[in-house]
Amino acid sequence: MTDIPPDTTGAPAPPEHEEERRALPEDDGEPRLRRAEDELRARFAEELEESEEAQERVGVSREAIVELEHISLAFDRPILEDVSLVARRGETIVIAGESGTGKSTTLKLILRLLRPDSGRVIVDGEVLNDVTYEEALVIRQKMGMVFQGAALFDSMSVFENVAFPLREHTTLSEDEIEARVREKLEFVDLEPDRVMDQLPAELSGGMKKRVGIARGMAVNPAIMLYDEPTSGLDPLTTGTITRLIMKLQRELKVTSVVVSHDIRSAFRMATKIALLAEKKIVFFGSPEDMTASQDRYVQDFLGGV
Amino acid sequence: MRVLAVQEYFGLAAKAIRFIFARPFYIGDVVQQMDSIGVESLGIVLLTGFFTGMVLALQTSVQMAQFGATMYIGRLVTASMVRELGPVLAAILVAGRVGSGIAAQIGSMRVTEQIDALNTLGVDPIKKLVVPRLVAALIMMPVLTILSDTVGIGGGNVIATAYVGIPTGLYWRTVWEQIASGGFILHYIPSDFVQGLTKPFVFGGIIAVTGCYFGINTKGGTEGVGNATTRTVVVASVMILIVDYFLTQVLLFLFG
Ligand SMILES: Nc1ncnc2c1ncn2[C@@H]1O[C@H](COP(=O)(O)OP(=O)(O)O)[C@@H](O)[C@H]1O
Ligand SMILES: [Mg+2]
Repeated sequence: MTDIPPDTTGAPAPPEHEEERRALPEDDGEPRLRRAEDELRARFAEELEESEEAQERVGVSREAIVELEHISLAFDRPILEDVSLVARRGETIVIAGESGTGKSTTLKLILRLLRPDSGRVIVDGEVLNDVTYEEALVIRQKMGMVFQGAALFDSMSVFENVAFPLREHTTLSEDEIEARVREKLEFVDLEPDRVMDQLPAELSGGMKKRVGIARGMAVNPAIMLYDEPTSGLDPLTTGTITRLIMKLQRELKVTSVVVSHDIRSAFRMATKIALLAEKKIVFFGSPEDMTASQDRYVQDFLGGV
Repeated sequence: MRVLAVQEYFGLAAKAIRFIFARPFYIGDVVQQMDSIGVESLGIVLLTGFFTGMVLALQTSVQMAQFGATMYIGRLVTASMVRELGPVLAAILVAGRVGSGIAAQIGSMRVTEQIDALNTLGVDPIKKLVVPRLVAALIMMPVLTILSDTVGIGGGNVIATAYVGIPTGLYWRTVWEQIASGGFILHYIPSDFVQGLTKPFVFGGIIAVTGCYFGINTKGGTEGVGNATTRTVVVASVMILIVDYFLTQVLLFLFG
């Protein structure tokens, strides 16, 4: 399963899948899988509907904006082997998988905080393998990253955190910066006047995440990356953050890559899901296709939630 | 330290020095760091400087009494404070107080992904974090040393007057004699001062770079931050003492 399944966004089930399914021994495999598929569909009905809407908005023929081509990376042991992934403009790709499978590492590769041992990373047409550190600093401004622990600068107020990228990379006046910070805080449903002067240490986990999102989107990047945006949050806040990511996708048309092991919110927002396991992408396709997948690992992963 | 680590250390130092003169300048951060280095260290540096000066006067008075040369206490206290003890003691104290603080702060930024966040937001952490601390340490270390020297010589004055009965006026005249005896550079700058201020400048650099280096390379959560601070204090202190020796040789060769 090293090949990436073809782009099926918005299109009816591809012929390849049909063939594969027919190739299976009819007697035992087929009925069991069908039952599992129906069950999964029923279980995730609501989420799948939302995902379908997202896919309709994206359409099928958009250009690729984030591409991983045959990436391999090892630290003291191999982490990723021959991993390929494409995000088209406006899509929301969810990278799922158990912890320690290299999800955060994949985001860091996209940000060129890490470089692959082999394979190429392409962001908005630029091959990140070839750029210098200084050039990478510039390219990264196309991307907004929301870190797992929010990674707010703890010596700065909420206002200064969100204003930080604006001060660094724009020539906006102080008034314009304040207006922009207020706009972004309001977008993430925070009351600017209440939180602006607070320090990160005074905020709850969910609020930190929201400020992190506001900071990530401050310079209006075309791509948003999220590392486990809902981990460690209560179910209610998880819902809020998921809706927020979907709002960004819907209203601002940003391309998103979301690392998550919360499969329910993944199904809600993803146009495509990439499932990482054993150093490889074992599944890459729409949530719809995922419930229909016959791969044992995929079935187990979905069944286990 | 491994060979690779040594190379990385000097790589960081070289990059930080180069970036001192490159835009953008984070003046606000430099001022803030100067403030924090000064405020954090002033108390202990003054206190230890004063007692060091006193103990120097006490010891030399005992030795000098054997030769009836107690009037030279001022000269000896001054020579020791300005050339050696002022710079080295202040630097070791600042390494413990400020160096460890730098490592802890940058280390916790590393483990909470704030360093990655800087990179992601298109800002070089070396420019934003290392350079301001380096510049602040390069400026503040000599300032702290001058203050340490001054209260140290003042402490010597207290002992020389109270225990040995040397009048304050005579004491300070011998202090000046000592300073003048080393000769002057460009007619006005006592060469002892050049020696006494070159050292803290270099030591300030060692403290800032060491703290930043171990901070940036922190691994493994809060425990890693603890390791980074400990290593910073040990490595910076040892480096200060070793570099002090070689620097003294060079400075003695240049200025006598
Ligand atoms: N800088 C690093 N050096 C060494 N090993 C690392 C580094 N970063 C991550 N790893 C290892 O790589 C694996 C994948 O990490 P990560 O991408 O954070 O996983 P995930 O986000 O899927 O939980 C883990 O086993 C982790 O210990
Ligand atoms: Mg992770």
